[in-house]
Amino acid sequence: MDTYILGLSMHPASAHVADKRLEEMVFDTARAALDDAGIDRQELDHITIAASDELDGRSISSMLLAAPAGGYLKDEIKTTDSGLIGLCLEALRIESGRFHLGLLSSWNKTSKAQFEDVMRMRCEPFYTRPIGLNMSIADGLFAQAVSDSYGISESDVNVAVQTSYRRARENHRGMRATVPSLAEIATSPYVSVPLRKLQQARVTDGGVSMVICSSTWLSKHPDHAAIARLSGLAWRIDDYQLGAKRLSGLEGFTETFGKAASMAGLRDLNELDVVELDSQTAFHDVAYRNVLELPDTCEVSPSGGPFAQNPYFCSGLVNAAEAVLQVAGRAGAVQVDGAKRAAAHGCHGFAQQGNAVAIFEGV
Amino acid sequence: MAKSRVAVIGVGETEFKANIPDKTYVELAQDAAKGALDDAGLGPDDIDAVVFSMAPTQFMGVNDADKWAVDSIWAAGKPFMRVHTGGATGGSALHAGYVHVASGMYRTVLVVGADRVAETPDAQHVLNLIWDLFYEHDFALNTVTMTALSTQRYMHKYGTTEEQYARVVVRSRRNALNNPYAHLKGKLTIDDVMNSPRISWPYKLFDICPRSSGAAAVILANDDITNRYSSRPAFINGIGGLTSTVFMGDRVGPYADVELSDEAEFVRAGKEAYAQAGITDPVKQIQVVELYDPFSSTQFPQLESLGFCERGQAQKLSDEGAFDMGALLSVNPSGGTLCSNPIGVTGLVRVADAALQVMGKAGAAQVAGVRNALATAIGGSVQFANCTILGADYV
Repeated sequence: MDTYILGLSMHPASAHVADKRLEEMVFDTARAALDDAGIDRQELDHITIAASDELDGRSISSMLLAAPAGGYLKDEIKTTDSGLIGLCLEALRIESGRFHLGLLSSWNKTSKAQFEDVMRMRCEPFYTRPIGLNMSIADGLFAQAVSDSYGISESDVNVAVQTSYRRARENHRGMRATVPSLAEIATSPYVSVPLRKLQQARVTDGGVSMVICSSTWLSKHPDHAAIARLSGLAWRIDDYQLGAKRLSGLEGFTETFGKAASMAGLRDLNELDVVELDSQTAFHDVAYRNVLELPDTCEVSPSGGPFAQNPYFCSGLVNAAEAVLQVAGRAGAVQVDGAKRAAAHGCHGFAQQGNAVAIFEGV
Repeated sequence: MAKSRVAVIGVGETEFKANIPDKTYVELAQDAAKGALDDAGLGPDDIDAVVFSMAPTQFMGVNDADKWAVDSIWAAGKPFMRVHTGGATGGSALHAGYVHVASGMYRTVLVVGADRVAETPDAQHVLNLIWDLFYEHDFALNTVTMTALSTQRYMHKYGTTEEQYARVVVRSRRNALNNPYAHLKGKLTIDDVMNSPRISWPYKLFDICPRSSGAAAVILANDDITNRYSSRPAFINGIGGLTSTVFMGDRVGPYADVELSDEAEFVRAGKEAYAQAGITDPVKQIQVVELYDPFSSTQFPQLESLGFCERGQAQKLSDEGAFDMGALLSVNPSGGTLCSNPIGVTGLVRVADAALQVMGKAGAAQVAGVRNALATAIGGSVQFANCTILGADYV
């Protein structure tokens, strides 16, 4: 692929950003990404936004947020699926040859949204809304299905929770939450059997911006250096209905990884040094690792993934930022030695209806 | 320069009307998708990726309704994304579909969407929520009052009369008689428009678009597929878009970068699209425009910003019939947004109707000898603008 990352920024993770409007969070993050890349906003030829009206609490959220995201007098498009799908759209724009230097931004101030109410309203009105489906229940159905399919035990899941929090504890870009004990996890209340509260990644406030360019732009600007190349990218949507096959098959998840790896020219996933998974629960984490069968040489979610920070809508793009930092050697305390190829996963919709995977290489 | 040519090879639209009680939202989307596939001679398995066009979901009451539609439009298992830029959504979705193919990563893309605006008791209540909570919510702003203000400013600058806007409505409703899908159509007189109930000065009821339900879809394809399946495609030769600011006050006065009442975002968006498409003299080179015109006052500033005439001259040309079917420039042969406005797909309907003109498939609405057609879309506080140039020849 012909798409490069010039710089990026993540808004400091927080359970509740109380001292800023969403517009200020978005502006601060976009501004910092431009600074990181050494780019003046005037130089940009386009903007891509990934955001959710419903989670932002507005009918057309980009009306107020396009300008803070750098979009004033720019060619700007918004996608509403997830932050990582925003990267897919941004990469397509670069790859088309029509655009060469863009700013991608995504955010989520979940502390301001009635999260599960928004999710419940995603249900169609005839079947799933009357039964009260929401994200926790969808994740509970997923947990039941993968537990049966892969023989995942609750103790496996509880250990995974601790592992994730231990990694997240080292990540200064995350919440650095206290690692719960196994007993605390095992006795935390059920939110949707068999899923317990402490097995879920808590939603947080956050945002991500990336400055992205083409090789054409880079060759004309030798004073700028990319920090990573996007070498593989794939995304896919699956059935809306939560049938057994969709819940436990993980077909979309595995196929998306395979296609991204193929595009990146990898023989298989064993060539990855780092994988950042969008594990919204520890059941996801265990199931994902189970089907990917990654070798010990690959570090999985060294950032802590959503257990470090989970601005739900853009958690996949947070993973992408963490992956870029890994191959750029800028991941700080969670840096994986010698990381050259890193994959970022993002998902969206009930029980991961949509999956996306981006693979980055060092330059 | 795009890496791959992109052409529209199939178009599908449903009938547009206030309520379509015998179809669910996803069935509407399916009807349009099937129509586009049939028109292109393709089946669902021939589609590589899908872009969904949907603006605020609050109108029809299902968040992320696009995900519900996945199975109905045969998108499961494929790359899929939804685009949303308010009223400009359909045009933006088309541009997103365009880059899928132009990148060389996909051969065929289905761009599809649906809306059911009349599901909500009053869309303008939803549209009040688009504004800034602290500064504008309490100002009784919605899309009607918002554009009424800019229309007043345009009238003040150029001396436009309400009768001149009424003439636009008469032409649009007349054109819509040739469009089997149009929501509103008929033979109106200027007096009919002038005597319709006052809504927000200078608007009367007939100056304002309907709240429509319906769906639209187009199939985009690369060279290989286009050559195999279409003898007369509509090539996408130019795309342009521009976002300005939500704050209307920042778009008036001597320091404004883009003048609100002139819809001057289209000057820049059009310049980019024209440059790509090799359009140097739009009056001579473009035969049809499908403008996003939810109000009778929306056409004149767009035509001027897009270079079809000087500032303040569109109203005179309109009076003279220059924008009638087959005249100097055929403006909205379909009847345009004034006659059908399923907001989440209206911009895509503009592209679809422009493509039909280039492909020679516009039926009774067909304008003779169309080589280039222009489609526009507008969203937000008239702050999102995009345009697409479709041509019979690839540039």
